[in-house]
Amino acid sequence: MVNGYQARSLQEALDILSSEAVIPYSGGTDLMKKANGNATYLFLNKVPEMKNIREDRKYIRIGAGCTFTEIIESELTPAILKEAAALVAAPAIRNLGTVGGNICNGSPKADCALIFFVTDSKLRLVSKKGERVIPISEFYLGRNHTILQKDELLVEIFMNKTGFENYCYKKVGARKALTMSRVSFAAILNMADGKITQCMIAFGAVGEVILRRKEIDDMLIGRTIPEARAVKENYLAAYEQAINPVQGRISAEYKKTVCMNLLGDFLDSKGI
Amino acid sequence: METISKAIKKKDHDSKISGQALYADDYVMNGMLYGRLLGSSKARARITAIIIPDLPEGYLVVDKYDVPGTNRVQIIQDDTPVFAEETVEFVGDPILMVVGPEYNKVESILENIVVLYEELVPTFNMRKADTVFFDYHYAKGDFDKAQDEADHIFEETFQTGHQEHAYLETQGIIAYPHAGRMVIRGSMQCPYYVHTAVTKALGYDARNVQVIQETTGGGFGGKEDFPSILACQTAAAALKTNRPVKVIFNRREDMAFTSKRHPSVCTYKVAVKDNMITGMGIDLILNGGAYTTHSSVVLQRALISSSGVYKIDNLRVAGRAVKTNMVPSGAYRGFGSPQTIFALEMMMDHVARKLGTESLEFKEKHMVKQGDTTATSGKHHFHVPLPEMIQRINELTDYPAKRKRYSRQSGRYRRGMGLALSFHGCGFTGSAEGEHIKPVVRIRKAADDQVEILTGNTDMGQGLKTTFCKIVGETLGIPFEQVLIENPDTDRVPDSGPTVASRSIMIVGSLLQQAAEKLRQIWQTGEEQIVEEHYVEPKFIIPFDLERFRGDAYPTYSWAVNAVEVEIDTLTAETRILGAWGIYDVGVPIDLNIIQGQMQGGLLQGIGYAAMEKIDYNAQGIIRNNNFSDYSIPTAMDVPNLVTEVINNPYTHGPYGAKGAGELSFAGAAPAYVEALENALGVDLNKVPFTMEDTMGVLREVHHHD
Repeated sequence: MVNGYQARSLQEALDILSSEAVIPYSGGTDLMKKANGNATYLFLNKVPEMKNIREDRKYIRIGAGCTFTEIIESELTPAILKEAAALVAAPAIRNLGTVGGNICNGSPKADCALIFFVTDSKLRLVSKKGERVIPISEFYLGRNHTILQKDELLVEIFMNKTGFENYCYKKVGARKALTMSRVSFAAILNMADGKITQCMIAFGAVGEVILRRKEIDDMLIGRTIPEARAVKENYLAAYEQAINPVQGRISAEYKKTVCMNLLGDFLDSKGI
Repeated sequence: METISKAIKKKDHDSKISGQALYADDYVMNGMLYGRLLGSSKARARITAIIIPDLPEGYLVVDKYDVPGTNRVQIIQDDTPVFAEETVEFVGDPILMVVGPEYNKVESILENIVVLYEELVPTFNMRKADTVFFDYHYAKGDFDKAQDEADHIFEETFQTGHQEHAYLETQGIIAYPHAGRMVIRGSMQCPYYVHTAVTKALGYDARNVQVIQETTGGGFGGKEDFPSILACQTAAAALKTNRPVKVIFNRREDMAFTSKRHPSVCTYKVAVKDNMITGMGIDLILNGGAYTTHSSVVLQRALISSSGVYKIDNLRVAGRAVKTNMVPSGAYRGFGSPQTIFALEMMMDHVARKLGTESLEFKEKHMVKQGDTTATSGKHHFHVPLPEMIQRINELTDYPAKRKRYSRQSGRYRRGMGLALSFHGCGFTGSAEGEHIKPVVRIRKAADDQVEILTGNTDMGQGLKTTFCKIVGETLGIPFEQVLIENPDTDRVPDSGPTVASRSIMIVGSLLQQAAEKLRQIWQTGEEQIVEEHYVEPKFIIPFDLERFRGDAYPTYSWAVNAVEVEIDTLTAETRILGAWGIYDVGVPIDLNIIQGQMQGGLLQGIGYAAMEKIDYNAQGIIRNNNFSDYSIPTAMDVPNLVTEVINNPYTHGPYGAKGAGELSFAGAAPAYVEALENALGVDLNKVPFTMEDTMGVLREVHHHD
């Protein structure tokens, strides 16, 4: 027996969340692993406001309750996100698990969260009292620890509509399915008029939070390829210093080597 | 292909596919209690006190004082306690069991029990272990002389790791008193092993113990010794409470506290004269874990198999199984031989490279053939089909050309191809079959002419119900449907020996064929008839002397040739398996589908052993990755191209020409995989598992020297 509320609308969900001690439950694929018979769950899978993928003038808006399968099948989501979603676990998990859960679970290994980091996506957090839209980089305080308030829900993710075509994404796992990232890497580089306009890099599973260091990437912005090549050594040195994986079951040395290899290869592929 | 090999629908297909087959955990009996074990949290300690909270009504604690017979589990020896005595010897060593009507309450009581320990210094390093459980050695020819006369002497050390069985169904037993007797039901490979152990622990007359195997979801050796331990504990609880007691392990318990494959350290010293190996000195250490369980016989097979498929005239072989404060190592598909075959195959490969010859050519020059002596001075009595098997794998894989092509590569992705030759000695080691097991089978024909097979052997997914029924049906000339077989119940079936050692078809199947032949001759329609058959050792066998390791350790051998092709991403060290091949000789397959399942499953299990399966102990002796997220086994996605074939090589003393099959598929995978890595990386490697991190270590070294 599991106690819970089945919310039919966002309003209803927020009402319950503000007045009851409940655990928000979307796909449940992480929660089920540590099922708590004494807990009361707030089931969100029937909340229509969290199930849409749509676009407005500025953003693609992805409902936090969309499953990985829905992300893959959507015509609106960018290829970089589809690719990461397709490598989540296995089909059964992808059919149930949601992007919102992927973000709110707070794991630095989360496959889709990495993509929202590298694309500088924003999160729409809503409570009964109001709402706020924040960059994903401000969402995490540490492993399994976010700024989400008890009465607040992640309702939507906002992604820019363009600019993610020139990407590189790599998930490194122990096997080809049902695997957690040992390291993950995503990179986007855009040019205009012979100059780098955007360079966005993110690393997963190397620390408490997904690693995204805009100030390092800014070293390349506004430069031509030869100019970027000239600062490449400093750029790599900055990442060398920034990447300090925690020593766990997977060695820190291994993770760091893979990160630097993938970053170096990405720059090489751009002629930098 | 022989007629009998044609695949048919398995005897237990419908009940399993429809979900009607019942496993231990499916049974709920009146008044049944749930039990959970409290295991030691220390790797080695003296127990100074156990503080048990006030127990609610109906809840009980069961421990060593509740074992009325001997507080020891009879396996081969009896050093394994039913419940811990003064000391605990590994993390998880069972101290007591809490039983009661509600599982959750049992669990919360368990959490509130405090055990006080006086910690002792544990041993985790097998090379530094001071307790030697077993120490064996044997020799053939004169290795000293071979060394004296050698042009070269090479020496290398190899290591292999733990491996979890990862069967789908975790361990589970139900015990209940009934009419002054004790009944045990559950997931197991060997009902009569359980019977012997429970009889001794309870101090019962053997007649008063009944053991029934329930549908078993996988074993691989993991349900050979462990169910005896769990059955003794559960029986003690059932006796104390006078109720049915059920204990089903959750996955974490199962992975952390039940047996694993023995880790090994193995040194090979090889004497070479005129580019041929003239002698080998082999020294093996097996990590036995905390108790002996099956270590003696695992060590025997490891040592006997240590020169593999090669004819080595001068051999000196020694090995020890030592005690460490880790989970007891036990039986696992291959039973010791995968450890030495890995070391041997790598050694052959390395010596070949040092001599400037290609690995396979070098191995081929040393292969045994019919009539040659075995490592233990027995004889290879039958045709050794390795040459035609190698020819076939070359046709399938283009091995020699690819291997050459891959030896010089640059760029991000690098490929490699490896090949291994292996064998498996069929049946029990030495004369155990005739001297200790003395298997008996029975066939009972009812008045309605339905025929029932009565043996103590179990189907754990390997298809034994189907293959046994095919052998009997074919021999009697009656339809498959007219032959019945139930899960064994020791009240109804004779002791036809355990379901282990790739013996069931060759030994028990053969007895069934003989019994069926007898029945055919005396068949009387409408009459109830019973035929019984006893094992007699074949006349050709040179008796095995276990003291001196001399004679035929096995009546015959099954043969395997495996190849693996990999592609390494040098940026991430990810290793993709492009193909894995196996050509197998199992005599004659009794059912092609079943054999394909065994061959493919074993090959993939071997690839997991080689590439990713790693038990991660911390400094306190706790297994940290006791779940399937952190202990990775391969998925179907990891081996897209898996090709297995069997050749026809009938064995004169097996039913319809069949010999051992189940374990054969495993051993060649690891050396083939690691040889493929060597081919891609251009270095010699010496251990499994060889993980991505290990590969990255090599890549960094190579890069460093560039």
